[in-house]
Amino acid sequence: MLWYKAWLETRARFLTSLATLTIFCGVFVHHAVYVACSNTFPCAEGWIRPGRQAEFYRLLVVTQEFVVLMWVMAVVLLGMGGIVREKALGTASLTLSLPVSRTRLMRVRVGLGVLEAIALAVLPWATVFGVSWVARMPVLITQVGLYVLLLIGGGLVYFATAVLVSSVVAGEYTAPALAFGVVLLTAIMFDAWLRRFNVWRLVTGDYSIDRNTYLLSEHLPWLGIVASLSTAGLILLASVVVVQRRDF
Amino acid sequence: MTNEPVILTHCLTKSYGTAKAVRALNLSVEGNRITAFLGRNGAGKSTTIKMLLGMIRPTSGSATMLGKQIIDAEGNRELRKHVAYVAEDKPLYGYMTVEQTIRFASSFYPDWRSDVEKKLLRDYELPLHRKVKALSKGMRTKLALLLAFARRPDLLILDEPSEGLDPVGIEYLLQVLVAQAAEGVSVFFSSHQIAEVERVADHVCILEKGCLLVDASLDQLRQSYRRIDLVFASVPPERDFHISGVERIQTHGREMSVFASRNAEAIIARARDLEAVSVEVAPVGLRDIFLETVKEN
Repeated sequence: MLWYKAWLETRARFLTSLATLTIFCGVFVHHAVYVACSNTFPCAEGWIRPGRQAEFYRLLVVTQEFVVLMWVMAVVLLGMGGIVREKALGTASLTLSLPVSRTRLMRVRVGLGVLEAIALAVLPWATVFGVSWVARMPVLITQVGLYVLLLIGGGLVYFATAVLVSSVVAGEYTAPALAFGVVLLTAIMFDAWLRRFNVWRLVTGDYSIDRNTYLLSEHLPWLGIVASLSTAGLILLASVVVVQRRDF
Repeated sequence: MTNEPVILTHCLTKSYGTAKAVRALNLSVEGNRITAFLGRNGAGKSTTIKMLLGMIRPTSGSATMLGKQIIDAEGNRELRKHVAYVAEDKPLYGYMTVEQTIRFASSFYPDWRSDVEKKLLRDYELPLHRKVKALSKGMRTKLALLLAFARRPDLLILDEPSEGLDPVGIEYLLQVLVAQAAEGVSVFFSSHQIAEVERVADHVCILEKGCLLVDASLDQLRQSYRRIDLVFASVPPERDFHISGVERIQTHGREMSVFASRNAEAIIARARDLEAVSVEVAPVGLRDIFLETVKEN
């Protein structure tokens, strides 16, 4: 039932984000197909004019950049809430009087958040694949898989950051504002001084893209993904410790 | 139930910076009875209850509830299976319906009493499909009480349970509390409604500024506390009444009013020695005991 409670708490944010991302992806790939095929829309039998395939994949890179932006905003919002927010709303004493440990409460919240974050990555890109397939210009399924992998593997650190912020700050507006601030600041700072370690560029595929074909290389930056996932794990662990030590 | 105290604290203290919310509290709440926990706003009642339930970490001291140490997280989780708690503000999830709330809460308690749930649903006339956020304050209180009563607890902790209830609801609540106690449930509740406390409580604890000032059975309090009104021929010397048991003396000219927690006979004897013209002894209600106790401190 804790999963059900967590679902009730996040479903509005999740479904709104999912609808926004999916519609955006559908519309954008429809536009990309139109641009790639120029005046011959829909492309006849998968035929693409010479030089247009790279154009099509370049637009997919742009799609991923927008998807990353919206996905990060969505997972930051999904990371909000939790027992600290419940304290501000006055329901923490009900939740904490249940025979459930704070660790389990956090585990359920994080578990559902990760599942929703995965869904927010998979379904929009599945839409990209579906729309391109209907338009007879299917995106390579491996490319879709790689984009999703980058989004989840690299981007979960943003969700973890949001969970940590919401474990410290209770305000309805201050918590997301602070979380967005941290995300923005780290992106800018890493870009300025530690460009090679910028998670944002990792997630958008900037480190893996072939600038001629605009296809993602199958040699993904695994080290970066593992480092990002490990950082996310550590941040989530810190969140659990913070919540365990807090007074409610 | 054993004869061990259901709640036992030893020098339990909670500080927020330099401010002490609870000071070296030594509390012993026996099982199978209704214990009232009285105190003004900010006296430390809710802080004490939250420490017992593991929501707040004590600064120092120790406590056990149902025989388990409260500061051990796993032990506290285990003991919460046997404790029902209704907080002061009757917290409930506004986004759930009444039915969802009941299903949610019941899933954590294998001993959930469906018969009690059905009876209280009927008696309280709670609308099953209405969202909690659309319920009135009284309805929310009733739902919170239903969740507490139906989980078959060994210990029921209620913080201002009657707040938000109409007179009929309060009457019903008191009856249910007595019935729960009769079934072997230990009840520990805080309230500002002293008339209600006086009707149902077996034992009374009064907390003021984090310190336990009174810890006695209601019968003991009724028997030992007295107000003694004296009239003398001339202005009486107050210092002659500074004897054991005298809590407060008020003098208006030749009239003197002595509030005593015990030793009424000795005070009367002293008054007679001082040739009091009139001696009137009156029993004191819990309301006066409470007011005099907190006023003095």
